[in-house]
Amino acid sequence: MKPENPTQSDAALRQVLHQWKVDINLPPRFQEQIWRRIERSEPQPQVPGWLLLIHRFATAMAHPSLAVSYVTILTVAGLLAGYWQARVTRAHLDETLSSRYVQMLDPYQDSPH
Amino acid sequence: MKRPTLILIAGLVAAVAAYCGIYHAGTANCCRMEQGHAPELAWLKQEFHLSAAEFTRISQMHEQYLAGCAERCHRIDLKNQALAQLLTVTNAITPEIEKALTESALLRAECQKKMLQHFYDVSRTMPPEQGQRYLAWVQSKTVLSDSHSQMHH
Repeated sequence: MKPENPTQSDAALRQVLHQWKVDINLPPRFQEQIWRRIERSEPQPQVPGWLLLIHRFATAMAHPSLAVSYVTILTVAGLLAGYWQARVTRAHLDETLSSRYVQMLDPYQDSPH
Repeated sequence: MKRPTLILIAGLVAAVAAYCGIYHAGTANCCRMEQGHAPELAWLKQEFHLSAAEFTRISQMHEQYLAGCAERCHRIDLKNQALAQLLTVTNAITPEIEKALTESALLRAECQKKMLQHFYDVSRTMPPEQGQRYLAWVQSKTVLSDSHSQMHH
């Protein structure tokens, strides 16, 4: 509901505020706390994704169970990758040596003769 | 150093160590085989599960075969050179060319016969099951392969 005369209303408010006296004592470091709340309410600068990731990783590694899981997973991944790569290498060598064996027995096999 | 950094590094080191360890363990035998005296025969021994005695016998047969094969290859090369010489001086099939072609084909047939005989000898030296497998494999790679639609060797 709008007041009938805003100028009169403002004057009355100012008078009431002038007469208002706070009797209670402020808590210690009240002003500092207020400034902190203002700082917190201000928008934070944009944090880069990788920095956020590192922060999250560091937070997660604070938990021993997650740290153990992380090391275990990487170890298993290393084992699997090594096993797979060894299989590929063995298969490649088998193929090479078997071809060389055939080539020794049949030297004219692939050359037009 | 902070604890999370240490954990990060420990995880990566563990992964690399696991990779290298399993890779080395899985390929050590292959590396030894490849660096040996006759890696092709070492492969044959491994592939067809040959005993030491079988391997020694097959190695001897292999050496004998290669010596004969080199001699036959030399004869084929000489025959090819002679044929090439004849082809340069004419543009028709002369009796000399016809004779050279026949001799060349006979030489190749002889090579194939010797090779097939070597396969049979080797397969008989192996345990029966492995011998059958060897024969099927080596014939598919040589006399029965697509590249042998024409006679080679």
